[in-house]
Amino acid sequence: MSPYLQGILILAGINVLAVLGLSLLTGFTGSFCFGQAGFLTIGAYVATLLTMELHVPFAVALLGGALFSALVSIPLGLPTLKLKGDYFAIATLGFAEATRLIVENLEKITGGSRGIPGIPTKTSLPIVLVLAVVASICIRFYVVSRHGRNCVAIREDETAAQAIGINTFRYKQISFFINAALAGLAGGLLSHYVGFIQPAMFGIQKSTELIVMVIFGGMHSVTGAILAAIILTALPEVLRAAAAWRLVAYGAVVVLIMVTRPQGLLGNWELSRESLMAIWNGLKSRFSKKAVGVDHG
Amino acid sequence: MILQQIINGLSIGAVYALLAVGYSLVYSVLNFSNFAHGEVLMLGSYIGFFSLTQLGVPFVVAIVLSVVGTGVIAIVLERIGYRPLRLRSAPLLYFMISAMGLSIFLQNLTIVTIGPNFRTYPDIISTAPITIGDLYIGRLDLMIFGITLLSLLLLTWFIYGTKMGSGIRAASYNMRVASLMGINPDLVVAIVFLLAGATAGVGGMLFGMKYTVYPWMGTLTIKAFIAAVVGGLGSLPGAVIGAFLLGITETFAAAYVSSAFRDLFSFALMILIIVIRPGGLMGVVSQEKA
Amino acid sequence: MDNVVLDIQKLSKTFGGVQAVNNFSLKIPEGSLQSIIGPNGAGKTTIFNLITGIYKPTEGTISFNSRRIDGMETFKITEMGITRTFQNIRLFSEFSVLDNVRTACHMRSDYSVFEGLIPTPRRNRQERAVTDYAMNLLKLVNLDDRANEYADNLPYGHQRRLEIARALALEPKLLLLDEPAAGMNPDETQKLIEFIAEIRTKFNLTILLIEHHMEVVMGLADYITVIDFGKIIATGTPVEVQSNPIVIEAYLGVGE
Repeated sequence: MSPYLQGILILAGINVLAVLGLSLLTGFTGSFCFGQAGFLTIGAYVATLLTMELHVPFAVALLGGALFSALVSIPLGLPTLKLKGDYFAIATLGFAEATRLIVENLEKITGGSRGIPGIPTKTSLPIVLVLAVVASICIRFYVVSRHGRNCVAIREDETAAQAIGINTFRYKQISFFINAALAGLAGGLLSHYVGFIQPAMFGIQKSTELIVMVIFGGMHSVTGAILAAIILTALPEVLRAAAAWRLVAYGAVVVLIMVTRPQGLLGNWELSRESLMAIWNGLKSRFSKKAVGVDHG
Repeated sequence: MILQQIINGLSIGAVYALLAVGYSLVYSVLNFSNFAHGEVLMLGSYIGFFSLTQLGVPFVVAIVLSVVGTGVIAIVLERIGYRPLRLRSAPLLYFMISAMGLSIFLQNLTIVTIGPNFRTYPDIISTAPITIGDLYIGRLDLMIFGITLLSLLLLTWFIYGTKMGSGIRAASYNMRVASLMGINPDLVVAIVFLLAGATAGVGGMLFGMKYTVYPWMGTLTIKAFIAAVVGGLGSLPGAVIGAFLLGITETFAAAYVSSAFRDLFSFALMILIIVIRPGGLMGVVSQEKA
Repeated sequence: MDNVVLDIQKLSKTFGGVQAVNNFSLKIPEGSLQSIIGPNGAGKTTIFNLITGIYKPTEGTISFNSRRIDGMETFKITEMGITRTFQNIRLFSEFSVLDNVRTACHMRSDYSVFEGLIPTPRRNRQERAVTDYAMNLLKLVNLDDRANEYADNLPYGHQRRLEIARALALEPKLLLLDEPAAGMNPDETQKLIEFIAEIRTKFNLTILLIEHHMEVVMGLADYITVIDFGKIIATGTPVEVQSNPIVIEAYLGVGE
């Protein structure tokens, strides 16, 4: 495989990890998170510092980044997850910006705005692939579990969810925690792939890109989010010339989706044995119907 | 020294107020935060800039062009991005996402077409400050303060002193009741966006004069949004109070702690307020009807 | 009186100076079917929202099986055994009929969040049990043949029944029904009355029923409390209430 293609696949895998939790939190639980870059930053910096300062094994560094990011979600969620949608969105945006500011100003530890160069590039395609696939399967199982159903119930109607005994705050916390952990993991992988990090890599634009992936793929589909993460990572790489127009198109597509097809690319379709069988049967019956039609025609 | 900081705080707070009012106006009627408001401000700033530099019109004409332009832009954006959602009573989450889409679109379209560089407004007024004792007051700051105050007064008169304004207030209380009273919801929404857009136009010119013009200057309005939240989303007096509170907090944080952490204080203020009073200072904590 | 399930004492609620509920008291004995009736805007739904913790009372106490529940969070009150339906039907519209009921069965299984991520035999076993239970419940309300349809696509009367089924899935001790007959024609209403009577015995329920229309509660309720402007104006058996001049006036007064 060419290193170029390998690079795209690694980035796609990292984005899948960054988007999976967001799909759970925003798509399934209904809390609009506008600060995903904050968790990426935390994961990236914690993992990098663990590698470079404490020389721990790569796996430990990744785990440390993910765990730290997840732990941050707890104090952050306590005051904010009880808030209405707009307030939560802006609070998460504020969190991401604050994280970036703190990293920029802790120059002694983080290298300030110039960042940290020379990170050992330990992220390889097999590692990313395995992590992305495992995480995808876990989230896919989660959303159809009793916990996942509770999340969707909260999204659909928070008052009704409370009325059937769901501790809505607790479930939002869990989704937030899982999201932060996965984004932290993605951050660690990213820093150990690029070999260099700086705060500018984790601006509002990064949060925007990730949330667009969830919306584009279909807010109510894990498969959609994964697919969108892959497509929207690969597409700009392939269409280098149109790179400048990429974000213009993102914006337009997001509005278009909301106005015409808010369920996104896949709606709530999920990849599963049943859904594949359904497609197969549908195709079969269509072709056999056509055949019948020809006979009679 | 403290007095100097208060003056600086009021000066920045005034511009925040003008923009926070735009957020609150839209929120009061449609119950969502129009995250594309910042981009309307940015476009207003560009309209003002090009009017002054390319058309060479006088300053007052430039403001009028900017205000008219952003008013129209805001209405058009509402038609494209929000009206279809309104008509099918879509979840509020979709409004927010659509607003975010508009914001990304406009910001990046500007980068691609006009270019990502910073542009400096021509000097409208002498840059020499007025000194009173050991206080320094920038002439530009004074002018900005004056224009903001005038705009806010005009807006207050419109909302509280005209028939259309009372229609908006009725709609902000309850859209359904308002339409029963014979108020055309489309018209109310259009007027609200016109007003919000117009204030963003003025704000854009003022920001452009004080700082520079650039495509992502719309993110400056995050501060205005924070002000609106602090004051209580949907409340106009709240937005103004929140804005001045934020302006003063920021200047004090920058002067006595560190300018690098100024924004941290803004966010901290917001989180603090919504934890203590979830509806903001002047907002009402709405209890959903089940 | 037998064992009192719900005991409301001197309950009041004001919204920005408006007295929505005023000094409201009510005792519901176990196994009874009581009803609160009153004109639109009399404060009936507010009382439900107070009982279920959606609103916090301004004054007064609410006790359920002798335990104070006023001020508690909604989901905790539900866990204790009070469930409700909503006047304007609040189903999870993106869920299938089956999943609406299965969601309400979340307390019937106890597998962990971790087992949510990775299925274990225990999870699969519990999920199967929940599905069976939910299907049985749907059979009982005659919705089993539509189990896989979107809840949103059901006709109105079916949605009502589904919402009640969802509440029953929680095995409540006390069921609160908020205007279940709203928007129904006389034929549907009659069927609903029979349905409520049926589930009452089958599930051994204590029921509090809010209604706007007096006819609905006449055949069902053991005891009726009539309110207007948040205040109790009359109480008694259906026959007593029906002939009470104050009640008649309250209803006539708003053009009923």
